[in-house]
Amino acid sequence: MEILDSRLKLFMYCMTASLLILISGLYFCQIYQSDKYVRLAHINRLRMIRFPAPRGEIFDRNGVPLAVNDTTFCIMGYPLDLNTPEKLEHLSKILMRHGIPISIEDLQKTIKQQRIAPYRVMKIVPNLTMTQMAELVADYDFPRELFPLSVWRRTYPAGTVAANILGYVGEISERELEARSEEGYVGGDLIGKSGIERSYESILRGSPGQEALEVDARGRRVRTLDANPAVKGEDLHLTLDMGAQKLAVELLKNWKGAVVAMDVKTGEVLAIASSPVYDNNPLTWGISGREWSAMINDPNRPMLDRAIAGVYPPASTFKAFMSIASLEENSITQSSMYSCRGGLRFGSHLFKCWKHSGHGGLNVIGALQHSCDVFFYQVGLKTGIDKLIKWGRKFHLGEPTGIDLPGESGGNIAGAEWKMRRFNRQWGNGDTINYSIGQGYMLMTPIQIARVYAAIANGGKMVTPHLNIKGYKTPENIGLNPEKLEIVRRGLEAVVSRGTGSRAGRFGVKVAGKTGTAQNSHGDDHALFAGYAPADDPKYVAVAVIEGGKHGSSVAGPIVGQMLAHLLSH
Amino acid sequence: MQDFWIRLKDDIALTDRLMILCALTLSMWGVFCVYSAGAGIMGRGFDLAFRQSMWLLVSVIAMLIIMYVGHRKMLEGAYPLYGLMLLFLLLTDIFAPKVKGAQSWLGVGSLRVQPSEFAKIAIILMMSKFLTRYPPLDIKTFLAGLGVISLPVLLVLLQPDAGSALVYLVISFGMLVAAGTPFKFLGTIVGLGLSAIPILIMFALKEYQKNRILVFLDPMRDPLGAGYNVIQSRIAVGSGGVYGKGYMMGTQSKLKFLPEPHTDFIFSVFSEEFGFIGNLILILMFALLLFRITLTGIRSKDRRCKILTAGVASWLWFQMFESIGMSIGLTPVTGLPLPFLSYGGSSMLAIFMALGLVASVYIEGAERKF
Repeated sequence: MEILDSRLKLFMYCMTASLLILISGLYFCQIYQSDKYVRLAHINRLRMIRFPAPRGEIFDRNGVPLAVNDTTFCIMGYPLDLNTPEKLEHLSKILMRHGIPISIEDLQKTIKQQRIAPYRVMKIVPNLTMTQMAELVADYDFPRELFPLSVWRRTYPAGTVAANILGYVGEISERELEARSEEGYVGGDLIGKSGIERSYESILRGSPGQEALEVDARGRRVRTLDANPAVKGEDLHLTLDMGAQKLAVELLKNWKGAVVAMDVKTGEVLAIASSPVYDNNPLTWGISGREWSAMINDPNRPMLDRAIAGVYPPASTFKAFMSIASLEENSITQSSMYSCRGGLRFGSHLFKCWKHSGHGGLNVIGALQHSCDVFFYQVGLKTGIDKLIKWGRKFHLGEPTGIDLPGESGGNIAGAEWKMRRFNRQWGNGDTINYSIGQGYMLMTPIQIARVYAAIANGGKMVTPHLNIKGYKTPENIGLNPEKLEIVRRGLEAVVSRGTGSRAGRFGVKVAGKTGTAQNSHGDDHALFAGYAPADDPKYVAVAVIEGGKHGSSVAGPIVGQMLAHLLSH
Repeated sequence: MQDFWIRLKDDIALTDRLMILCALTLSMWGVFCVYSAGAGIMGRGFDLAFRQSMWLLVSVIAMLIIMYVGHRKMLEGAYPLYGLMLLFLLLTDIFAPKVKGAQSWLGVGSLRVQPSEFAKIAIILMMSKFLTRYPPLDIKTFLAGLGVISLPVLLVLLQPDAGSALVYLVISFGMLVAAGTPFKFLGTIVGLGLSAIPILIMFALKEYQKNRILVFLDPMRDPLGAGYNVIQSRIAVGSGGVYGKGYMMGTQSKLKFLPEPHTDFIFSVFSEEFGFIGNLILILMFALLLFRITLTGIRSKDRRCKILTAGVASWLWFQMFESIGMSIGLTPVTGLPLPFLSYGGSSMLAIFMALGLVASVYIEGAERKF
């Protein structure tokens, strides 16, 4: 035991000795040679610059640029070169002299916001043009410690025409920074805030470069010690056709609403317009808080993409779905006739047909052609809400379509279970009657309606709408009986050739489709039209929803007709 | 359950609270340093400091658990633990993904641990039991003791993790010294080790390891490559001066050119910002901690515990000496973490577990006093 204790005491002596060696080493380094190292630290200043990667550019299907990068210049500098009010005053004076109105307070604020460490480079003045920068650098008084850095700025040549699709980029927020800390973002980085810019952020972003340089006592670059260049993000090609998109925006100009056009077989979206529009360019460059709140508080809600996030009663466009569900459930056949005398009395309530004089006897084709409400009231009651909901689920009503845009709404499929949960009320036959003509609780987005009509056009396959040209997903076959589907398609052809939707057929292509007029408790009724063309061998589907457009036949129909005609002729 | 709390409270009352206080103070100081160091690398300071404090919390709980279970139970399980450790080191050799050329991490889901850190505890337990059962007083038992340590050393060398292997050797050497090994044996070992160095440099070391040693001899030989770290680190420490530049005010140490400022070179960050005075306080706290550990061993009446405390003390001493020495160019760069201060969960957890063992030894000594 004694030997062990003596060995442990030996331990303590050795440790004491070794610690004394460390202390003397530190004394030598930090006190005896301190001056030398302080000087070395001062002259041997290393600085780090981070170069943002140019973002991948975005093009439409024909290579038309939709989002590109412009070069602009920033004045960069280090906190330790701007640490006195005199230096700031000097800088502000020079900036003013060249017509750049930046006060000392502005500079102080910028520095305070970005300062992390004295050697971390900061953006002192952003967004200068080449000319401005050249003038400044040529100025004899321009502080040599500051230096220009070229950076890219996102520009959207199409502006308002595709803003709802592309979205915009902006400086990363605290919350985004926290959520994506693993991905190597730092404060001041730009990130996609909405639209394609957001959904394809990880592809478009690229990877930032970095440079370590040695500077002299006055902050001038002595040499680059290490650099890895920024890698540009991947370019993205969209399925969008700018010609069709422009036309869609043009047609919507005087209205609030949305237009969607899509390839029926692949789900490629060729146009997706929402009105009113906004311009995404100023958002990228940074707008004032007041402008921003004006934009988001605008009662017309320009930032809402009505094509994917606007929910509307599908109204009579829903009758195509009703026909399919009822035929498939065998509650009607092609020859089933119902008579319309202008309304259906159910209990104490009279459910009117839009044509108060009545349609007389009709089968399903005639009912679609004339958009007879009473026919569908009866068919709906006969089929029953549960079977309708079953078919609704097959068509993915009430679910987002999965389009590659953020903020998509799923609409509402409603049904007995939903009503119980939501209102704690039983689903009544009156609800079913309303449901049968696409009114009441049922809500759909224009892109959902387009997807359903694409399935009717392509023989019962649910495509996934997408904008990335590489975003094709194999459609899901919902297994519709081809003969029964043919009956519905004949009905939709009749709508345009000799029924309520004839105005959609005046543009030289054979359109099949359905009008709709959605009751709007806040004002004029919404006008809808969903159609595809050519009717015999459908290629494209288009949907138009016009808020307060009154009748589907007069406003929405011609828009869809022109969209389809444009797509087929180009 | 109530018994558990009462006994835990008793244990805390009886144990060496001064030692634990030292460890906690150092660790919390470490969290602040990690924040400062992390601020330099892509602004990850808060993230790193937060994780480090979470690890500290886990470590303290682990220490209390080990203390509660007691060193006696742990020593009883020494042989199975040793076997388990060998298995884990082997698994790491086979499966672990390469992190910067060394495969020392083993992932379990999203949690990644370094088995080589926890192996230190298994080695200490195993050696204290083995060296008590077979005192290394004659050549046969001495060689047997060397055999016990050589297995884990070989396994970590395969990773290849020369730093850990070195720590294992130092721990074992310290334990052999404490176990009363005759000085002629120890002298022979040291002599053989020193004479093997040139051979090692010639054949066994990897290129980067050779570089580190050459750079240690002359940092200016590669001022922008391997020697750069040493020079930058020395400038950081030296420019700290007497009082330091102040917390978060370091300019040198936070540059990205000090590689791993939050792990390997944390001391450079510390001493640039807190200066000579700060270093003095830091080293005195380490000294106090090491003395308390050794005194616990002297106080204990159990041979195994004396050897055990020697193992823990050698471990902490060596990593501290090496890490501080490296940052002023006194020792070659090995990449060993500075105990309590360097960022790293596995290292901190293992150290606190070892302190749990020492705390338990102390309690036994305290109980006997009454």
